Amino acid sequence: MSTCKTLARICSKTSRPYPLPLIQCRHESSTRRHKKLLHLPEAPSYTPDSSAPTLVFNPPSSAPNVYHTPLKFLPQNDRRRQLYSDALTVSTHSALRKKASSVAQPGTPLATSSLLPPIPSVSLPSPVRQPYNKKYHLTEEDIEEIRKLRTKNPNTWTRVKLAEKFGCSQFFVSMVVKAPEKAERVSAEHQQARERWGPRRRMAREDRARRKEMWGRDE
Amino acid sequence: MKRIRISRCGTQLLAQPSSRRPPCPCAPPLQRHITPHNYRIQSRWQSTAVLADDAENTVQPKTKYPPEVLPSPHPSASRDSAKLSALRSRLSLPPRFPLETLARTLVHPSADPNSAFNNGSLSILGSNLLGYYTTEYFLCNYPRLPMSVVFAAQYAYIGPKALATIACEWGIEAAAEPGGEVDPGLLQFRRLRSGDDIPDALKLKIPKKWNITTTHKILTSDEFGSASRQPAPEELARQPVPLEEAAQSFVRALIGSLHLHLGPPAVKRFYRDHFLSRHLDLDKLFDFRTPTRDLSRLCAREGFEAPVARLISETGRLSRHPVFVVGVYSGKDKLGEGAGSSLDEARVRAAAAALKGWYLYRPVEVTVPSSTEGGMGADKWRPNMVDCGEVIV
Repeated sequence: MSTCKTLARICSKTSRPYPLPLIQCRHESSTRRHKKLLHLPEAPSYTPDSSAPTLVFNPPSSAPNVYHTPLKFLPQNDRRRQLYSDALTVSTHSALRKKASSVAQPGTPLATSSLLPPIPSVSLPSPVRQPYNKKYHLTEEDIEEIRKLRTKNPNTWTRVKLAEKFGCSQFFVSMVVKAPEKAERVSAEHQQARERWGPRRRMAREDRARRKEMWGRDE
Repeated sequence: MKRIRISRCGTQLLAQPSSRRPPCPCAPPLQRHITPHNYRIQSRWQSTAVLADDAENTVQPKTKYPPEVLPSPHPSASRDSAKLSALRSRLSLPPRFPLETLARTLVHPSADPNSAFNNGSLSILGSNLLGYYTTEYFLCNYPRLPMSVVFAAQYAYIGPKALATIACEWGIEAAAEPGGEVDPGLLQFRRLRSGDDIPDALKLKIPKKWNITTTHKILTSDEFGSASRQPAPEELARQPVPLEEAAQSFVRALIGSLHLHLGPPAVKRFYRDHFLSRHLDLDKLFDFRTPTRDLSRLCAREGFEAPVARLISETGRLSRHPVFVVGVYSGKDKLGEGAGSSLDEARVRAAAAALKGWYLYRPVEVTVPSSTEGGMGADKWRPNMVDCGEVIV
C-alpha cells in the first residue's frame, strides 16, 4: 500500500481557497550566504600553536577502548599517571589559550577526545538521575512501625506507600520486612497474566529480556 | 642428557635440492646457508623424491616381529617417514629434535598401552608446562582479571578445542586405524565410531560437593576450573576416543618433548609463536549481571567518589530509535562510556565499560617468573603487581 497521495487528490487541492497575493519570501538560499554561515573557526586540535610539524590526533567519535584504563583506576606507582598529567597540563594550556569554537564544545563530535582526561575547567554534563545522599534518618521505632504496618495489612501498606510515608526507598522497606504470602499471590497473578499472552507479545517480552542480558555482556 | 645426532639421517635418500622456480639471471644468488627461523616460511629445501637406484638401500626396521603385530610403528621406522620430516620442518624445529620422539608424540595411549611407546607421560608434562606459561602470562599481564575470566581465557588458549584446532592447523592427519605398519607421521589412536558414546574415562567428574566456590575450583580442579578431570593415560588404554582427545594429547606431548630435548627457552619461544600469538578478545569474556551495583561497590572499596551517570549526548529522544551516550563519572573523572537506545541501557553499558576498564588494567612493564629460570634474568626481575581481588557484592 502506498502512502503517497494519488495525483487526483493533489490536483483537487491545488485550487486556492482564498485569494492571497504571491509574496516573494527569501530564505537563506544564496551560495554566498551559506558560505558565510559555514565559515567556522577550526577545531583547536587542527590549529597547532607552533609552525613545526606536529601530530594531529583527531579520532572519530566512537566508544572509548576498554583497554585504556582511566586515570582514576591506575595504581599510584604507574608511569602512565605522569603521562596523563603531562597531557592534561598541555591540553589545559592550549584550551585556555584558544577558545573552542561552537562546534568543538563538549558533547559535540569535535570535542577533546575521550582518551585524554577532561579539562578541569569544563563543566560536567548533567546527570541522568539526580544524585542523592543517603539520609540514614530512620530510628529503631520507625523500623518497628514499618514492620507492624506491613505485617498487619500488607494490601493497604504496600512498599510504595510505606516508602512515601517514611521517606525511604522501596528496597529498604523490603529489606526491613517481607510479606511472603502477598509476594506469592502477586507472583501467581503475574504468572496468570503471562499465560494469557499471545505468541507475539510473548516473543517480544522474551526478546526484551534477552536484549537486557546483553547489556552486561556489551554485545 | 645426550643429544642424538641424527641430523644427517636420510639425507642420502633425498635428491639434489632443486629450486622451485627457475632462477632469475639478474637476481643475486640465494643464500642457501641461512636456516629459516620463522615457522611460517614453509619453503622446501629438499625434494623428497627417492631416486630409483636407492630403492634397495632403504633402511628396514630390524625387528624380529613383522610390523603388523606391533600396536604402533617401530621407532626406527620414523627415520624413513617423509611426513615426520615435513612436520618437523613445518614447525621449524631444529634438526637435533629427534624424529623418533616426534613419532612417539603422535601415538595416543588408546593405540599403544605401553607407556614407553605412547605419549601419555610427555602429554602430562606438556599439559603442566602449557598451564604454567598461560597462567603466568595472564596473572602478570592482567593482575585484576576475575578468576572466572582467567579460567575462560585459559580454556580459549590451551583448552582441548584450541589444541585440537592448533594440531589441525599444523596439518596433522589421523590414521584410520593404529598399527605397526602405519606411517609414523600420522596421528595414531583408536577411533570412536560415529554415534558411539564416549568412554567412561573421559566422563570422569570430580566428586560433587555442595560448596563449589572459586577457591575450590582453583585448588581442586584443572587450570580451566572445569568439573571434569583429566583421565590418566592408563585409563584410556584400548579405549576408543574422539579425534579431539588424541589431537590435544599430541600437542601437549610435543611441548613436553620439546622441553626435554631443547630446553625451556626453546619451549617458551615455541609457545609464544604458536599459542600466545593467537588473538583473544578478553573484553568479550565478561558477563556482568548487575554492573551498576558492582561499580558502586568497587568505588566504595577503593575510596573513590560514588559513580554518577551523566548524559553526554543524545539524539532522537522522542523518535523510534533514540541514541543516548552516557558516561559514568566519579567526581570529575570519567570511568566509562556507553551508548544505548534507552537511558537505562546506556547507563548499564557505561557501568560495564567502567568495570572492564578496571579489570583489564595492564601494567607497563612485566617480568614473568619463568623469565628468571636458571638465573638467566634474575637481575632484571621486578615484582609484579598483585591485586586485592575482584568485586564481591
